[in-house]
Amino acid sequence: MFKSIMLTGALLMAATIAQAGTIEMKVNGLVCGFCARGIEKTFHKNPAVTDVVVSLEDRLVAVQTKDGVDISDQELRATLTDAGYDIKSIERTDTPVAAIRDRLKSSAK
Amino acid sequence: MNRLIDAVAAAALSLTFFVPGIAAAKPIAFAHGTTVMGEYGAGTMEELQVFYAPRYFYSVGGGHLALNSDIDGRSRDITYARFNYLVKRWNREGAQANVFAWGGAGNANVSESSGEQFTWNAGLQLDYETRRVYASLKSDLYESSAFSHRIDTLQLGFAPYEHEYDGVATWLVVQGRRYTGEIFDGTETAFLLRIFKGAIWVEAGATTDGKLQAMFMLNF
Repeated sequence: MFKSIMLTGALLMAATIAQAGTIEMKVNGLVCGFCARGIEKTFHKNPAVTDVVVSLEDRLVAVQTKDGVDISDQELRATLTDAGYDIKSIERTDTPVAAIRDRLKSSAK
Repeated sequence: MNRLIDAVAAAALSLTFFVPGIAAAKPIAFAHGTTVMGEYGAGTMEELQVFYAPRYFYSVGGGHLALNSDIDGRSRDITYARFNYLVKRWNREGAQANVFAWGGAGNANVSESSGEQFTWNAGLQLDYETRRVYASLKSDLYESSAFSHRIDTLQLGFAPYEHEYDGVATWLVVQGRRYTGEIFDGTETAFLLRIFKGAIWVEAGATTDGKLQAMFMLNF
């Protein structure tokens, strides 16, 4: 019984990890679109990333990763540091970046 | 007038250190980024610079600076290699402030003598910006056995609206600039309109003498 519960739990965890995920990062210092281009450029070079959205208003950088692929917090922090910024928080969600982009456009109107 | 400039400079410095982040032209864009900057400074100076940043805190490159004295017509054409270093950055919620320093060396052609002069260069920039206000103070020194010129530039900017990442940013900027070494007498004041979108940044305006002041910058 115990083995079955453990196995089920492990399978559920694996399924969660395997989903295409979105990583939402709150970023400090994000004030200038011209200066923040390094963020998008660097994330687009990452083979794990399929989409990126940046919002100055929300101080947000969100990246969508390929199915079953995650990017470690350490790598995320290094990427933002190399672009000249500091991460305030990191949250993994299942909201597609396209939906975040639509939400940002709606809130800007 | 000098006291006024000093007071404004002091105010900008205070902003730099005590208020949260500016849309200032920076000598370092981002890691693996290239910056190309060109400026036409009211007939007194013209400069073209290209820098590549291997890391976010330093860049290497070079430039060419032409100085034309508004007082006696003397000119200097300086070509240099330069190292730029990000001394300190403060990233805050809704703001960023930076201290940059640089040093370099090159050659200069001087109008009143023949041959090339060895020239060295050092400078410092303090800037602070939010999405609505910005201040920048830059001091750039060029020295050789034939001349010593320092160019001090103060910029204060205001954005009429907060731009988004993929939108057009518009800034209204007032610039004060002073030269040492008999290039220009007094303070050169200019009013500028700055626009940037994507990787392209342009600004243009006029000095109070009616001369063109313009700049462009590309980051890629």
